[in-house]
Amino acid sequence: MKQFESLTGKQLSRRQLLTGSALLGGGLLATSLTGCGGAAQATGVREIGFWHLLSGGDGTKMQTMIANANQANPGFKVHPTVLAWGPPYYTKLAMASAGGRPPEVAIMHASRVPGYAPGGLIEPWDLGLLAENGITPENFAPRIWEKGQQGGKVFSLALDSHPFIMFYNTDVAAKAGLLEGDGQLHEVSSPNEFKAMALEMQKVTKAHGLSFGYLNLGSQMWRLFYTLYKQHGAEIVLTPGRQMEADRDAAIESLEFMASLFDDTIAAKSGDINTGIAEFVRGDSGMLFSGGWELPTMKKAKLPVDAVTIPTLYGTPASYADSHSFVLPRQLVVDEVKRKDAYKFVSDVLKGSLLWAEAGHIPAFQPVVQSPAYGQLTPQIHYANAADIIAYDPEAWFSGSGSDWQTYFAEHIQNVLLGRDKASAGWDGFVARTNDLLSRPNPV
Amino acid sequence: MSSSTLSRQTSQPRTTPSPGIKSGLSLRRRRDTLNGWAFAAPFLVFFLVFLVWPILYGFYMSLTGKSLTGANDALIGFSNYAEAFADAGMWRSLGNTLYFTVISTVPLVLVALVMAALLNIGLPAQWLWRLSYFAPFLLASTVVSLFFVWMYNPQLGLINDFLSKFGIAKVGWLNDPNVAMWSIVIATLWWTVGFNFLLYLAAMQNIPVQHYEAASLDGAGAWRQFFSITLPQLTPTTVMIVLLQILASLKVFDQIYQMTAGGPGGSTRPVVQYIFETGFTGYRLGYSAAISYIFFGLIVLVSALQFVITRRRSA
Repeated sequence: MKQFESLTGKQLSRRQLLTGSALLGGGLLATSLTGCGGAAQATGVREIGFWHLLSGGDGTKMQTMIANANQANPGFKVHPTVLAWGPPYYTKLAMASAGGRPPEVAIMHASRVPGYAPGGLIEPWDLGLLAENGITPENFAPRIWEKGQQGGKVFSLALDSHPFIMFYNTDVAAKAGLLEGDGQLHEVSSPNEFKAMALEMQKVTKAHGLSFGYLNLGSQMWRLFYTLYKQHGAEIVLTPGRQMEADRDAAIESLEFMASLFDDTIAAKSGDINTGIAEFVRGDSGMLFSGGWELPTMKKAKLPVDAVTIPTLYGTPASYADSHSFVLPRQLVVDEVKRKDAYKFVSDVLKGSLLWAEAGHIPAFQPVVQSPAYGQLTPQIHYANAADIIAYDPEAWFSGSGSDWQTYFAEHIQNVLLGRDKASAGWDGFVARTNDLLSRPNPV
Repeated sequence: MSSSTLSRQTSQPRTTPSPGIKSGLSLRRRRDTLNGWAFAAPFLVFFLVFLVWPILYGFYMSLTGKSLTGANDALIGFSNYAEAFADAGMWRSLGNTLYFTVISTVPLVLVALVMAALLNIGLPAQWLWRLSYFAPFLLASTVVSLFFVWMYNPQLGLINDFLSKFGIAKVGWLNDPNVAMWSIVIATLWWTVGFNFLLYLAAMQNIPVQHYEAASLDGAGAWRQFFSITLPQLTPTTVMIVLLQILASLKVFDQIYQMTAGGPGGSTRPVVQYIFETGFTGYRLGYSAAISYIFFGLIVLVSALQFVITRRRSA
């Protein structure tokens, strides 16, 4: 999941742009191919539209999975359309569904489903049809299965969970004497222990101990904040028409800790997401807070890298994550045959999601996770426990990955992280903003 | 007034000719009218379907709670407007738009004037200057935004790299809330000043050369001529450029969305982006329609003001 918010921000690397345009071009090609569907239709091959927002290393894996499914099912052909991550994707999907002529199947972040399902933009999955295709609730971890439900119906089928984790450079860690006998990173359990560990690594790299770029990227600030906040055992409850319920002390403590990291020794004072990743890949830091989906970047750079969930610094293990999930956008006229094809396609992809794990995601389909082949994947298995401590976004019509709410978070928190504002002021501003949203009429 | 004279003119002859001629005349008139409508039809269809109808429907929508999901589209009166007037987010983005309008209009008019005046002195290779001043205007906003996003990059950007050679500290061109809007104005200036420049140049070249000859005979220097002949002669052009520029600046969206997406900290979010976010990513179409009508009111006000000024001038 390359962060395509960057297309509208300034965190754009040339490689990203090239990959992005190439993939978008591919997407366009794919859509234009549907234009020649006549020939395929004539031979009885049904066209299945599929929209997704995966344009990084995982986009390539998805392309392979689609090709595999197409090969195994001569009756239909899935045509993917790749759209830019974040608001551009979700606006288009919502518009298409509102108009009643969306693709047969689409990918959504599970955290965005509460904004879609109640308004009828997506339709529930039929458990009977799923079972016919060999997919049952028992195939998913309870927490992930539950997340797919709204009002007792299954609206999204998780393909994965993709947690926010910590990569570390094994060479740097070894030189700093931070590797245990089993080759794993020394475990820390408090903010000060973590900072001490980062400083040890800094002595090795001579640059920084930790990399974390966040400038102008609300989703990135939110991922780390929410991980640390949830480690306090605290909750955020968003109920329209009421004030936001949150633990102010836990929030401020988390923000103050985050701000204290950016002192130009532990971590760079300011930098965007790509600067952070580049610094870590160069070996100028020992650790990187990042999504597991950056794993292909690390592998490609041949970096000696391992990964763990973010260390538990406040007592309760927790890891911010989201799930790429399959949804059925609302069709004005449902073509039952095509819908059955969509079920078959999704079940094939779920069953073949070992490939998906290579992109750094944790497959949601348990038979894959329990397979011996998955047990061979490193460093994936070192953070696979994240699936049990997942912290999804608090539910509301305005929350979720790439939502405006995350942008609002950045608007109040960035100055805290840059040391220009007090944590309490930033947090209170964000709470006020959220309360304002909660006081507005709920559009879904 | 003109319609009444017209009807008098047309109704008078009708009383005199014989019934046969009269019917032939009115037949031809009717055919002319039909032809007229036929020629106007393509425009009228587009005008009605893509302008009048959306304006009416948009206003109706602003009186409903309509959401993108199709939920609650019942009429709710003016409560969207009441909500908008109390919405700090709207006022802030409206403030950003006005701020952008002020700090972009002034240089876009002044720099265009200076460029046109310099060129009008009679520099060699006129075509090259004209081309280089106007060429950026032909670029798409995406292209311009990408240029500047790269040049403004705090770590790798051309500008900070250049400044660092003189020991000037790195500037967060698009990351610093106090600087970001100015950075966008600079990009916009480079991008669109060519259009105003061209209007000014055309107007300058239309000033009769005799004025300058007479002035130099009277002993007026170059500066004197510029302020006493060129500028006054350019007044109608200036008024037009200022109006067009204000309207263009009020509508700002593309380059801001592409360069900062409204950040940092919402310091560059224009009202058009707020309307877009409210309606499309926030699902609230009815409410976002209400905000756009408030903004529309503002634009109508500016246009009306301009209309009054120009009419007084020409009268």
